[in-house]
Amino acid sequence: MKPSSSSSSSRLLEITVISGENLLDNRKQPVKKNAFVNIKAESSTCNGQTTKMDKEGGSFPMWNEKLIVALPMHARHLTMEVQCKASSGIKTVGIAKVPTSDFTGGFLPEDYLHFLSYRLRDGKGEKNGIINFSLRVKNAPPQSSQSAGCAAAYSRQWTTAPVGMRSSYNSSSGVVTGIPVYPGSLSGNITNLMVNKF
Amino acid sequence: MAVLYSKEKDGSLKELTRTEVVLNSLNPKWITKYTMTYYFETVQNLVFRVYDIDTQFHNQDVKMLKLEEQDFLGEASCTLAQIVTKSDRALIMDLVCGEQSSSQARAPKFGKLTVFAEESISSKTTVELKLRCSELESKDLFSKSDPFLVVSKTTESGMVVPICKTEVINNDHSPSWKPMILNIQQIGSKENPLIIECYDFNSNGKHSLIGKIQKSLLDLEKLHSARIGANLFIPTATGPKQENKVLKSQLFVESYSEKVQYTFLDYLASGYELNFMVAIDFTASNGNPRLPDSLHYIDPSGRPNAYQRAILDVGEVLQFYDTDKRFPAWGFGARPIDGPVSHCFNLNGSSTYCEVEGIQGIMMAYVSALHNVSLAGPTLFGPVITSAAHIASQSLTNNERKYFVLLIITDGVITDLQETKDALVQAADLPLSILIVGVGGADFKEMEILDADKGDRLESTTGRVAVRDIVQFVPLRDVQNGDVSVVQSLLAELPSQLLEYMRFRKIQPTS
Repeated sequence: MKPSSSSSSSRLLEITVISGENLLDNRKQPVKKNAFVNIKAESSTCNGQTTKMDKEGGSFPMWNEKLIVALPMHARHLTMEVQCKASSGIKTVGIAKVPTSDFTGGFLPEDYLHFLSYRLRDGKGEKNGIINFSLRVKNAPPQSSQSAGCAAAYSRQWTTAPVGMRSSYNSSSGVVTGIPVYPGSLSGNITNLMVNKF
Repeated sequence: MAVLYSKEKDGSLKELTRTEVVLNSLNPKWITKYTMTYYFETVQNLVFRVYDIDTQFHNQDVKMLKLEEQDFLGEASCTLAQIVTKSDRALIMDLVCGEQSSSQARAPKFGKLTVFAEESISSKTTVELKLRCSELESKDLFSKSDPFLVVSKTTESGMVVPICKTEVINNDHSPSWKPMILNIQQIGSKENPLIIECYDFNSNGKHSLIGKIQKSLLDLEKLHSARIGANLFIPTATGPKQENKVLKSQLFVESYSEKVQYTFLDYLASGYELNFMVAIDFTASNGNPRLPDSLHYIDPSGRPNAYQRAILDVGEVLQFYDTDKRFPAWGFGARPIDGPVSHCFNLNGSSTYCEVEGIQGIMMAYVSALHNVSLAGPTLFGPVITSAAHIASQSLTNNERKYFVLLIITDGVITDLQETKDALVQAADLPLSILIVGVGGADFKEMEILDADKGDRLESTTGRVAVRDIVQFVPLRDVQNGDVSVVQSLLAELPSQLLEYMRFRKIQPTS
């Protein structure tokens, strides 16, 4: 791939929208038919992508459709919106906000095929089903030579919890991923409580 | 002639089979095959003994031969797991003669024995069935029924065990369900009768039976090829005389296909390994390790405590699937000397690496850690799960063929339930399974939540949902009696969890 200015300012995502589960219409009736998915990059409305309608699947639709979505580098999440077409028009069943950090960064290979499932929420913020999809970052930046380091090197002798580790991924955007460090404050005066179950 | 024995738990040998006698050969090749069931969750010890049969016995049936009258040439022992993990499924062993112990540095050569094992095809076959019903009766007062099917098998002891269930189709008297997949090995054989029951779904859990039918896979295959339906019936009379009323409703087999699928052993043969990791709870609720009532008490008599028991039981099975036998081992919930509480420290005390050598290495590191830390709290799982997930991710980056198994042994209630869920939801997309063994008498309610096969899929704070269930939990209450079956039930699901991961990603076991 030719490194163009556009590829550095956005990520190309290959998303296979797999299926939906337990979709309800108005929180009561299961969705009858014609559910489809709208994928949008954060805030921007222009570069959305839409799956075909599943005419038969009802409240457990299957799409298995591959879409390519351009996600701006700065975007913090991706929006998956499940809608359905009824006689009264197009209705939104539920929305899932997918944090970009769930498929970038971390210690996985940049081009890892992520299988992701998210809870959908309707306009009132109520739970409404689940969406399943897979995602692969197409234009993964070449990995820098210093790899993410030895898997074992994150604990000092009989000292505290894992020391945060630098990840080489995302070095371009300056993001450093670390394993959670549990604050020492948690341990304050614990010994006095030794008889209790924690 | 070679004789195959299985070594039982008490050390006694049970003869399984004898091969034929190969005449006048120093390099005999036997063709006798013996079929045995492979159990992932137990260590299956095998002993092979080779005898020279004198000419005078050659026309006798091999089963009648008295072994003590024959010349013993040597024996070899191994576990079944050692054979199936070889890429060509053949294990070559040195024969040794009775009294010579293996400790002798240079035992005289008694030849070599090669054992070959292959997986029988029936255990790889799955059947995909698509079923529909017609003219079901209404069980609801004002609407049509909401039918679903349950397929069960009857075991040899007559017990009915459900093996598969369809989705519920609302308000439909001629429902057509999604295809279901059955494993022939699970059923036993194609001739075994299956009980197919159609229920009306009721949200209160009391589903009412609409009708049932008993058919073997073979019958179902015939129904499909003949394109005819079979009538459902319903047991009517209560009391000693069971009568069946035949219903108008019929069951049809829309599609029937058999498929040979890759099995766990196929993945092992193509070089996949199971890598064992362990994390031990050092919170204060375990009790002072110096006192005999502590869960961490090291008995001078050598009897293992609950933690040691769990490590040994799980480790002795898993070690055969890990070639380098270097196991990451951590502790959590303790305060090292002069340090704050750590929720993930290397059990070996090292600052740079977490691995120890072999199961014995875990045991030694565990005991030395007990001397070096003071128990504290609270009980957090998040950090150890994240560390394990990190190793699994790293292995993916290195293109290794590994599947990881983290054993967490704990005595108590976790304080970071949501953080643990978050870590598990992320880890579910990795080649990783987590076994949790609960020791002591605490209330393990949260563990049951984490073990998602008893409830809903785990959900993280950001709304991400676990793509699969990777946690198995079991309480190990009665350690005194050496309740091994508990640990076995924990391990039994590992092969299917590995397969689920592979099939999800369409990873094939080719080299």
